[in-house]
Amino acid sequence: MKKLLALMLALVMVFALAGPTAFADDEITLDVIICQYGPNTNDWFLGSGMDGTNFVDKFEAENPGIKLNLEVVSWNDVHQVVDTRIANNNAPDILNLDTFSEFLPDNLLLPVTDYCSDELFDDFFPAFMQDFLVDGTYWAVPDLASARALYYNADILEQVGVEVPTTWAELEDVSQQIIDFYDGEIYPWGVDMTTDEGQACFAYYAWGNGGGFTDENGAWALNSDENVEAVEYVVGLVNKGFTNPNPATQTRYDLQDMFAAGKLAMLIAPNQVPTYIKDKGGDINFGTAGIPAAEGKTAASVGVKDVMMAFRDDEADQDARNAAIGKFMEFFYRPENYVGWVSMEDFLPAVNSAVEALVEANPSFAAWLDVLAGCKFYPTSMAEWAQVRQGVTTVEQEALNGGDVRTLLDALQAEIAG
Amino acid sequence: MKSPELKGRNRRALALLLLGLILALILMSLPLYSFNAAVYTKKSSNTFVGDEKYQSARAEVEEKAEGFRAQGFDVEINETVTERVNSKGETTSLIAFTIDQKLSRSLFAFWRTALPAGHVFRAMLLCALGSALCAALGLRGSEELLPKYLDGRSRVLRSAAGVLALIALLLVPVFVMMNNYAFGRALGLYSQELLTEGKEALYQRVDRFLFDGGAGENIDAALKGLSVRHSGMLWLLLPAFALMLLCAVQIRHAAIESTLLRGLLYVFVTVMCVVVLYPYYVMLVTAFRSNAETLDMYFLHMFPTKWIWSNLSDIVHRGVPRYLLNSVFVAGGATLLAMLCGIPAAYAMARMNFAGKKAFLGFVIMSQMFSPVVLLIGISQLMNTLHLNDSVVGLMLVNAAFNQAFAVWLLRGTFVSISPEMEQAALIDGCGTVSALVRVLLPMAAPGIVTALIFVFINAWNEYTISTVLISTASNRPITVGITQFSSFNMIEWQYLFAASLLATIPVVILFMSIEKHLTAGLTSGGVKG
Amino acid sequence: MNSVQGKRKWEPYVWLLPSFALIAVFVVFPILIVFKLSVSEISQAGVIGDFVGLQNFRDAVKLPAFKTVMLNTLWWVLSVVGLSTILGFIVAMVLNQKFRGRKIARAILVFPWATSLVIQASVWNYIIKFEYGSLNNVLLNLGIINQAINWRSSYTVEFIWECGVGIFVTVPFVAFCVLSGLQSIDGTLYEAATVDGAGFWDKLWKITLPLVRPSLTVSTVLNIIYVFNSFPIVYTMTKGAPAHKTDTMITYLYMLSFYERKKGPATALSVIGFLILCVCAGVYMLGVMRKEEEL
Repeated sequence: MKKLLALMLALVMVFALAGPTAFADDEITLDVIICQYGPNTNDWFLGSGMDGTNFVDKFEAENPGIKLNLEVVSWNDVHQVVDTRIANNNAPDILNLDTFSEFLPDNLLLPVTDYCSDELFDDFFPAFMQDFLVDGTYWAVPDLASARALYYNADILEQVGVEVPTTWAELEDVSQQIIDFYDGEIYPWGVDMTTDEGQACFAYYAWGNGGGFTDENGAWALNSDENVEAVEYVVGLVNKGFTNPNPATQTRYDLQDMFAAGKLAMLIAPNQVPTYIKDKGGDINFGTAGIPAAEGKTAASVGVKDVMMAFRDDEADQDARNAAIGKFMEFFYRPENYVGWVSMEDFLPAVNSAVEALVEANPSFAAWLDVLAGCKFYPTSMAEWAQVRQGVTTVEQEALNGGDVRTLLDALQAEIAG
Repeated sequence: MKSPELKGRNRRALALLLLGLILALILMSLPLYSFNAAVYTKKSSNTFVGDEKYQSARAEVEEKAEGFRAQGFDVEINETVTERVNSKGETTSLIAFTIDQKLSRSLFAFWRTALPAGHVFRAMLLCALGSALCAALGLRGSEELLPKYLDGRSRVLRSAAGVLALIALLLVPVFVMMNNYAFGRALGLYSQELLTEGKEALYQRVDRFLFDGGAGENIDAALKGLSVRHSGMLWLLLPAFALMLLCAVQIRHAAIESTLLRGLLYVFVTVMCVVVLYPYYVMLVTAFRSNAETLDMYFLHMFPTKWIWSNLSDIVHRGVPRYLLNSVFVAGGATLLAMLCGIPAAYAMARMNFAGKKAFLGFVIMSQMFSPVVLLIGISQLMNTLHLNDSVVGLMLVNAAFNQAFAVWLLRGTFVSISPEMEQAALIDGCGTVSALVRVLLPMAAPGIVTALIFVFINAWNEYTISTVLISTASNRPITVGITQFSSFNMIEWQYLFAASLLATIPVVILFMSIEKHLTAGLTSGGVKG
Repeated sequence: MNSVQGKRKWEPYVWLLPSFALIAVFVVFPILIVFKLSVSEISQAGVIGDFVGLQNFRDAVKLPAFKTVMLNTLWWVLSVVGLSTILGFIVAMVLNQKFRGRKIARAILVFPWATSLVIQASVWNYIIKFEYGSLNNVLLNLGIINQAINWRSSYTVEFIWECGVGIFVTVPFVAFCVLSGLQSIDGTLYEAATVDGAGFWDKLWKITLPLVRPSLTVSTVLNIIYVFNSFPIVYTMTKGAPAHKTDTMITYLYMLSFYERKKGPATALSVIGFLILCVCAGVYMLGVMRKEEEL
C-alpha cells in the first residue's frame, strides 16, 4: 500500500516537473499552421527540403528574437485543430487555409494592413485581393492558386473519331460514342461529387450554364433555373452511364489515377495533373481544353485560391507582434523562397514578383497564368460559404439518390438566405 | 482383437471409395469445357444495314470466313447493330461482325497438354487413382484389425489414401481457377497487349490444345475473342472426391467424426488466418511498390514487379522512427499508469464491501460514453491549464484515463472469479494486503492482467484524434498522426502510408508475442487449484 | 467478505482514489465542458457565447438527416456488436483448444486490433476499389472471377462494407476478452461433466457461458459504447456520402461541426448520444448484474 502510494506520488512529481519552462520575455513566438499541400510541404517547412535547410531554420536565423512554432497539418484534420484552439482562446497567430470568412463574424482576424507592408501588398494580384475585401477591410492574403481545365485523352478520342466536346450536347454524343466503341470498358467523363469536392462539381456546371452561387448583386442565388438545369444535367450524365460509376465516393485521386491509366477519357482537373500523371508513371497522350458549356453559354474556368491570415491576440504587445507577422509574410513571399514553395507542388503564384522566375523555369506556366486570369472563384468571402459548400454537395448527392433537384435547391436557398 | 463387423464396414468403405473414383472418371470423360473463339472481329461505324459500307464490310467478313473454312475450321458469322440518335437528331450506327468457332473438350483432353491446368489435372487424376490403390493395398490382409493394431505398412498406406484423396479434392478448384485465368484473363491481357511476357508459350500451348496446332500463324486472331465456359457438372467432382476422402478416413481411423472435427478446426483456423492476414498482405505488397505501380488498373500483378526497398529508407527519412518512438513512450507510459491505478481499484471492487461500489462502477462506465472527438475542447482546455499541451506526458495521462474503464472492469471480473481463500491464507500467514495482492492474486489473475495490458497499450498506440489537436510540434507526434503526411492535397502516397502502417503494427505484435504465454498460464502458474 | 473490513472503513476509498482521480480530472472535466457547450451559443468558428437553454437541442432534432442518421447508427451498433460478439466467442472457443500452431494463430488474431482504425479503414478502402482494388486484383489473378466487380455499387453496399470492417476490427477484442475468461475455468469442471454424460452443448450452456459471462459483459457493454462512438471507419471510407446515407451519429456530428459549421446542434447531438448510451448500457448492466448476483 505504502509502496504504491509512494510510486503514485513519484509519478505525479515527474509529471509536474515535465511541464514546459517559461522562455525569455523579449522573444516572440508565432504559432503558424500550414496545410499539407503535397508530399514535399512538410520537408520544405520543417525538414531539409529547402536546399538542405528548411523554412523555419532559415527564418529564425535571419530574425533572431522571433521563434516559429510551425506545424504542418493535413487537410483532413486542420479544421478540427484550428476550431479547438479557437474555442480555447488559443488561436494560431498565422493560419493557412482555403477559406477565411467563417472567422469574420467573431472578429477574430487581424486586418491585412496591420502587418503587411505596402510593398508586399501591391505585389499581390489585385484581382485576388478584391475577394478578400469585406466591409472595406482586407482580411487575408492569397498564398497560392490553381486553375482547372478539361483534360482529354487524345488517343481515345482519335480512335473513336470524335472531337473534343465544347457544349453539353456534344459531350453527351461523344460520351455515347466512346461507350459504344469500347463496350463500356472506358469511362468517357469523370465526375467527382464527393464530400470534399462537390462544390467544384457544382461550379463547373452552374457557371457553364450561366448560373452560379450568387446573383449579379452578390446575394445567394442557389436555386436559380440555370443551377437546377446544371445539376440535373450532370446527374443525368451519371445516370446514363457516361461517368465513373461511384461519383459520390470516388475522389479526385481516383479520377486522376483512372485518367493516368487510360481508363477515363476526359475529366476536369487542376493544373497539377501533368505532374501527377508523370509521378504515377502514366504514359498517355493528353491535351487540355476549355470546360464545356451549355448551348449558347460561355464557360468560365474554375480557379481556387487559398489564403494566409493572421489572428488577433489582444493580450500581446501589438506593435512587436504585428512587426513579427509582417516579417514572416515578407520572408515567405520573397521570390527566392516563394518560387520554391509554389513550384514545389506545382501551384500557380499569387504575387507578381514570382511570375518572371516561374515562367522562366517552366514555360507552360504562362498558359496557365492566362487561364488563371479568366478564372471565376468561389465566393469565399461570404460568411455562409462553409454551409453553402456543404449544402450544394449534399444536394448533388441527394439528386444521385433520386431526389428532386428543384426541391432540394429551394430548401437550401431558404436555409442559407432565409 | 479381430472384429468381423469391422471387416464388413471396411469392405463397404472400400466399395464406396471405388464408386467415388468411378464417378470422378465418368465426369472427367464428359465434354465439360466449351470454347467459343471469335476468330475474327470487324467494327464498322456510321454504317447502316444494307448500305454500301455495310455490303463491303459483309463481303470482307465472308471472304475471311471462307478462308477459315478452307483451313478446316467450323465457323459461323454473327453481327450486332448499335443504333443511336444523337443530340442533333441524326442517327448513328455501329455494326460489329464476328466470326465464331465453337469447340468442346473433356477433362481428359487436358492429359496431354502443357497448359498449367494440364499439370494440375494429371496430379489430380494420379492422386485419385493412387488413393484408391493405397486404400485397397492397405486393407489387404488386415481388414479385421482395429486401427491401433495395424502394422506400419498398412498404416502408412491407409494414411496415404486419405492424404491423396484430400489433395485431389483441393486440386479441383485449383484446376478450374487455372483454366479461368489462362483462357479468360491471360489471353485477354495478351490480345490487348497489356502483357507480353510468356505470350508465345501460352499461345502455342492453347493452339495445340484447341486446334491441334492447326491455327499456326492465325493464332493471334483466333484467340482474340476466346470465351470459355465450363458446365456446372464439373463441380460434381468435389462430392466424388469428398466421398473418397471420407471412406479413406473411415478405413484409417474406423471413426469419421473426431477426425472430421479436427479437420474442421484446422479449416476454421486457416480461413480465419487468411481473412485476418489479407489486409496485411495488401499493405506489404503495396508498401514495396513504386508510386506508379500502386495504381495497377489492369490488375496485372499480384506482387510488385520490382520490390522497391528504398520506400523504407524514404519513410525513415521522413521521420517515421521518431514517431514510432513517441508512440512507444505514450503507449508504454499510459499502460503503466492505467495498470497502477486500475489494479488497486479493481481489487477493492472485487474484494471489499463499501458504500458507493455500484456508483463507482457506473462512474467508470460513464467516463467512456463520449467519443474523444466530442471531448476535444475540454481536453485541450485542461491541457492548457496544466501546461501539458504539446507534450508526450499529456497524451500518456489522457490515454491512461480513457482506458481506466476497461482495466478496472475486466480486472474486477477476473479477481471475482478467483476464490479469495488463497489470499486469506496469506493474510493469516502475516502478509499485508498489498503483498497478498502482489504475491498471490496477481499471478493467478495473469490472463486478465495480460488482456487488460494489451488492451490499454493498443488503444493508446492507436489513439489519433486527441493527438492531432494536442500535439503541435512535429517531433512530438505519435505515429498515427505522423503518417497523415503521406496523404496530402495533391497525392496519396499509398506505398509510404502502408509501409509506415506495417512498421507501426510490428511493435504491438512483438509485445503480444512476448506476453502471450501468460494468457494461458493462469491458474497453474499460481501453483494452486481453486 | 474481507477480514480488513470493519476495522478501517476508509480503506476501500484509498484503493479507489488513483483511478478515481485520473478519470475525474481527464475525462469528467471535459465531459462537463461538453454539457456546458450544449446549452451555449457557439459561433461557426467555435467561439463560445451565451447560455441559450435548449435551443441547440431543438435545432439538432430538426436537422433533415436526423432520422436517417439515427437509423444508420442503430444498424451499425446492432450489426457490429452483435455479429462480432458471436464471432468473437466462436473464435475464442476454437483458440482455446490445443492444436499445433495455436500460438501463431493467436498472434495473427492480434493483427487487426494492433492496427489503428484509420489505417484499417484506408486499407479496406484501397482493397474494395473497383478500378484497381486489391480484391479484384487477387480474385482475377487467381482465376476466381473473370470480370472486375464493382464492390461498392450502392450506398447500402458501402454501408455493409463499413459494418464488415467494424466487425473485422472488433472480433479480436471480444475473442481475447472471452479467452481470458475461459482461462480461469477449472478444467476439472469439464471432466466431471463428461463423466456425468454431458454433451458439448450442455457443457457450453451450463459451464462455459455462466463462467465467461463477466468478461462477455465487459466486452459487450464497452463494445456498444466504442462502436457507437467509432468514427474513423465511416469517415475514411465514405465521409457519410451520399448525402448522409452512410453516416452514423458520430460522423454526422463531426461533419456538422467542422464542415457545415453548425457547432451548437453538433454538441447537442453528442449529448443526445450520451443519454442514449446511458440508457442502453444502464439497462444492460442492470439486467446482467442481477443475474451475476444470483449465481
